[in-house]
Amino acid sequence: MTTSVASVQVKTSARKQKLWAWVVFVVGALYFLLPLAATFYWSLRAEKDKLGFEAYRRLFADVNFLPAFSESIVNALAAILLSLLLIVPTAYWVTLRLPKLRPVVEFITLLPFVIPAVVLVFGLIRLYSRPPLLLTATYDSSRVVLICVYAALSFPYVFRSVDNGLRAMDVRALTEAAQSLGANWFTILFRVIFPNLRVALLSGALLTFAIVIGELTIALFMAQHTLGPYMANLTRSKVYEPSAMAIVAFALTWMALGLIQLVGRGQQGQITGGH
Amino acid sequence: MAYLILSNISKQFGDTYAVRDFNLEVQKGEFVSFLGPSGCGKTTTLRMVAGFESPTNGTITLDGVDITDKAPNQRNMGMIFQSYALFPNMTVTQNIAFGLRVRNMSKADVKERVREMVSLVNLEKHVDKYPFQLSGGQQQRVALARALAIRPGVLLLDEPLSALDAKIRVSLRAQIREIQKKLGITAIFVTHDQEEALSISDRIVVMYEGNVEQVGTPFDIYNFPKTHFVATFVGSLNTAAAEVLDPAKGLLRMDGVQFFTAAKMDGLTKGDKVRIAIRPERFSFASEVKKANIVDCVIENITFLGSVVRVHILIGNSKFTMDTFNYPSLELPKIGAREQVTCSKEAVLILGAAEG
Repeated sequence: MTTSVASVQVKTSARKQKLWAWVVFVVGALYFLLPLAATFYWSLRAEKDKLGFEAYRRLFADVNFLPAFSESIVNALAAILLSLLLIVPTAYWVTLRLPKLRPVVEFITLLPFVIPAVVLVFGLIRLYSRPPLLLTATYDSSRVVLICVYAALSFPYVFRSVDNGLRAMDVRALTEAAQSLGANWFTILFRVIFPNLRVALLSGALLTFAIVIGELTIALFMAQHTLGPYMANLTRSKVYEPSAMAIVAFALTWMALGLIQLVGRGQQGQITGGH
Repeated sequence: MAYLILSNISKQFGDTYAVRDFNLEVQKGEFVSFLGPSGCGKTTTLRMVAGFESPTNGTITLDGVDITDKAPNQRNMGMIFQSYALFPNMTVTQNIAFGLRVRNMSKADVKERVREMVSLVNLEKHVDKYPFQLSGGQQQRVALARALAIRPGVLLLDEPLSALDAKIRVSLRAQIREIQKKLGITAIFVTHDQEEALSISDRIVVMYEGNVEQVGTPFDIYNFPKTHFVATFVGSLNTAAAEVLDPAKGLLRMDGVQFFTAAKMDGLTKGDKVRIAIRPERFSFASEVKKANIVDCVIENITFLGSVVRVHILIGNSKFTMDTFNYPSLELPKIGAREQVTCSKEAVLILGAAEG
């Protein structure tokens, strides 16, 4: 008798907990989804008394959109490449030979979080707009600086991803095994370390892509015609297109995150599995 | 001339010596084990042979060539790690082929060598699997095949069996030894497991606190330990302080009980204090057989250890253990009973001067 009462009490308490979990989930989902749904709904109202994709059509038809979009994509890819080339060998070497330096490297990679974008861009302009380091004289040279800044902005994400990836495998043993089999550093990096960091590299790269693709402050101050300034300009002159643009940017980001999940699936076991 | 020579090798980390004045000559095809507790320098020595650590002093010569300053990838040493260290992104075939591809071998040769190695370690059914799809024992066999595929000058094994369960460990060590003999390859095996070292090696190097305590065959190491550490680390051992009564006759006295020893007593004189050692299995009951030493004892306790029965006895005031085989008709004395135990003169070892 006592046992059955206790069991009923446990079941009721579990049901209550489950209910609360659902309430929290629904409230959280509404908090995120409502503004998104409202933006999407607004983007569909470009034509009078009719819902449709007119705003999207106009957006893609705008002669300034695709150049800005492609420029942002190229900038993002260049920043990713630069960031990976700097971070992967550094993180690998720190893990293998200089583990005591990890906190220092970690702190340096966190600096973009600490320095506001406005401060960063004014610092850059002051430094690179006069001799001997006159790098903002032309549009293209400014673009190179912008890519370097984007690479620096990605450090916190890329370093953490790569560092986690390296910690998930026995870097030292793999390196030594490859060395004993006759491999040089290049072979070890490109045939052993990089392939086993695939998920980590992709996570870092796609997070960088998500940040860079719509970045406004730095691009605006450096007078670059990328997607961020384009969007800002759009909000000043158009009604429905900025919402359409926001949805497109959002979709791109989610596609990037979806790709991380897709590539990550299946490879996890190869690295952490075993007996 | 020996195949692998380590001359006066030392390794210092800061002020601490990890290895001190290590000297060893290994013949081609020999299987040598480095045995010792954690921190004794055995792995550091192996890593110096592999080239992952540079000796602070000394030289390493392989087949007449000084390799002390050669990079690890120039030494042609096959290494097997405790953690297997298989490349997770590669299949069994790709792992075994890695070292061959690095050497730019032709595709046909790589294929043939991989097939040969896979068959050597009996992994024909698993060639397309990834490491995470294999058991620990299978992974270590892949690591062995990968290391052997490059036909290394020396095979280095860094506690390769430690991560495996007991049964696999025993069968894999037999397989490693069999393959090593079959290929006639020189091997250095690091372990802290005395049974492993005794069962697999041609010679054992016992190390303690960075120093070589004794080098010898498993038989010598077990039966004729030269230092107190070797005697106590390898196998079970009874030790006690004793006084030299007659060095010429090999007569000693411990707690008023006299023992004869066959050990050399060079340099010892009457009255000197020494530490004696007797392995538990060297005692037997005097009622069964009589040897040079017959001493009175009191039975303190009896413990069953499966195939062996351990009898705890008191000789004088010193506690000893005695091992006897367990068989159904075994008649054991009662606890507290007075008995006589016997051992040969050869069973009584002298481990040097008694401290204190």
